[in-house]
Amino acid sequence: MDSPSLQPLLLFVQSLISGILVGGVYALIGIGLTIIFGVMRIINFAHGDIMMIGMYLTFNLFTLAGVDPFVSIAVCIPVMFLFGGLLQKLFINRILNALPQNQILLTIGLGLIMSNTMMLIYTSDYKILTTDYSSSSFSLMGISISQPLAISFIITAVITAVLYWFLMKTDMGQAIRATAQDRQAAQLMGINVKRMSIIAFGLGAALAGTAGALISPTYYIFPQIGSTFTLKAFVITVLGGMGSVIGATLGGILIGIAESLGAVYISSGWKEVLVYVIFLLVLLFKPSGLLGKSRM
Amino acid sequence: MSIFGEIIGTIRRVSPLPLLTFLAVTGALLLFPPLVDSPYALHIMILIFLSVIMGESWNILGGYTGQYSVGHAAYFGAGAYTTMILMQFREVPPWYGMLAGIAVSILTALIIGSICFRLRGPYFVLASIAATEILRLTALNLKDFTNGAEGILATDIPPLQFGSFLVTDFTTKDPFYYIGLVFALAVIAVTWIVQHSKIGYCFQAIREDQDAAHSLGINPSLYKNLSLAISAAFTSLAGSFYAVYIGFIDPTTVLSLDMSVQIVLICIIGGIGTIFGPVVGALVLVPLSEALRSNIITQGLITAGLVNEDSPVGQFLKENLAHAHVLIYGILVVVVILFMPDGVLGFLRKILTGKRRKAA
Repeated sequence: MDSPSLQPLLLFVQSLISGILVGGVYALIGIGLTIIFGVMRIINFAHGDIMMIGMYLTFNLFTLAGVDPFVSIAVCIPVMFLFGGLLQKLFINRILNALPQNQILLTIGLGLIMSNTMMLIYTSDYKILTTDYSSSSFSLMGISISQPLAISFIITAVITAVLYWFLMKTDMGQAIRATAQDRQAAQLMGINVKRMSIIAFGLGAALAGTAGALISPTYYIFPQIGSTFTLKAFVITVLGGMGSVIGATLGGILIGIAESLGAVYISSGWKEVLVYVIFLLVLLFKPSGLLGKSRM
Repeated sequence: MSIFGEIIGTIRRVSPLPLLTFLAVTGALLLFPPLVDSPYALHIMILIFLSVIMGESWNILGGYTGQYSVGHAAYFGAGAYTTMILMQFREVPPWYGMLAGIAVSILTALIIGSICFRLRGPYFVLASIAATEILRLTALNLKDFTNGAEGILATDIPPLQFGSFLVTDFTTKDPFYYIGLVFALAVIAVTWIVQHSKIGYCFQAIREDQDAAHSLGINPSLYKNLSLAISAAFTSLAGSFYAVYIGFIDPTTVLSLDMSVQIVLICIIGGIGTIFGPVVGALVLVPLSEALRSNIITQGLITAGLVNEDSPVGQFLKENLAHAHVLIYGILVVVVILFMPDGVLGFLRKILTGKRRKAA
């Protein structure tokens, strides 16, 4: 990518495209966080750790049973959905009316438990999931595209489309959106808001776990990877507007592009600084986010 | 002058019994090192003092002013890095480095405060985390200045000398013990003053209702920044102390999110917004995580005959439990928030008053 013979325009398009591809997965993590926030008004600080569990699940399926990481999504989605639902029922449900700071600390605590339990089981060694296509890429109009990133982007797009359909067209999706809009009014309309909360948290965990499965061929797998992605998920959701699914999709892709361009034009060490600077600027000047008015 | 008058006024109002207990405990702590000749016991005590300083200083901002910063690693790291850089690369004795660290921290605090204090609730928490992450990544990237990810290792600590008079030489644990004790007592005293002075009342008014406090003529941004500056100065002190005592710092320990969370937890577990909450938190957390780290718990299970040393479970515990001292933080915070939302101190108080009520 940094060969000097590359034309400046080509370099730009190249990094733009790889940014969009990575951004797709970021969007998935962000959408999960935003659904949880929308329905329960809880900021889930364990979100990246839930994603990390998805990564280890995929890693185990691959090393023990030889399941391809992209096929393992079929296992990941239901397992992580149940895991998320269980977390909501056992822990989150009890603090729905607590002080916001206590809600934040509880999810931080849950995240610490998850990452340290994984560290006990798998040690803190970096694990690599190498498939035969992990480093392969194909060329499209002179732009080289990483194969695992391209596949994961397509899967992300399909999942996001199905999710939109679910939220917009199905009865349950509408019930979830109604709960997000006004919890009390939804309850008065006969919606089981407790059940919707469990489903929303399950959905968020499933999306995070899927994102973990999708990035496992391209990232190192280690127990502490979660906090980086939790922070990234916050940046994405705040950028798009807390509680907005379309906003989170847009935010994810924007952050992917910002990181990719930052790595090429500034330096890979400073690219994350750029992300947090954008985050603070958005918080200061447009705290409702880019699409803050719409909710889910 | 009015501040001193206030302090003297509030000291007069102290009831004698708690004061006597406090003085007795302090006296016992002063006599501890000569009586208990064990470096390990001193080490544990020093870590407890460090945690008390960290917890109390966060308490001033989080507990009394109600601003839940999850980015206090910024000030801890600023203190640690300033002291270490001056000591290792400029050969400045750590006492001066510590003062420089406080100055750097207050400056950092005012910059971070000017950004974060415009936000409230969860947005403030997120902004404080982001600001600290920026600092961590900066320390990681400015390799010429901070040694990057390699961190800074203290080779030797220049002693503080006035002419030929040696003040501290840092060759044993004793000076660290007394310095830690004095710092911990100082920060407890400051917290006590904050709780009983007019400035402290302003802090607490902002915590209870910022808009109401504003309409009563309290300038929220002034008092929030003041509270943050006090809090950051003492956190920086803890950072400098940590850097000199441990002798090694790197961005992933002193500037990490884990450090910020740990600072908050000391306070949350003990009891937020109380003078002795962080002390209780430190007394719970430090021995527990040290017991895990030094494998005392596994040894205990083995000697008690609960686990066979050669069995796979025994081997597993022996190898891994030492790495899991952070796990206990996670479990504790979940338990505390679900079952004792006012911390251990609040929980005990509730049990005691409940019993008294039953007796009456």
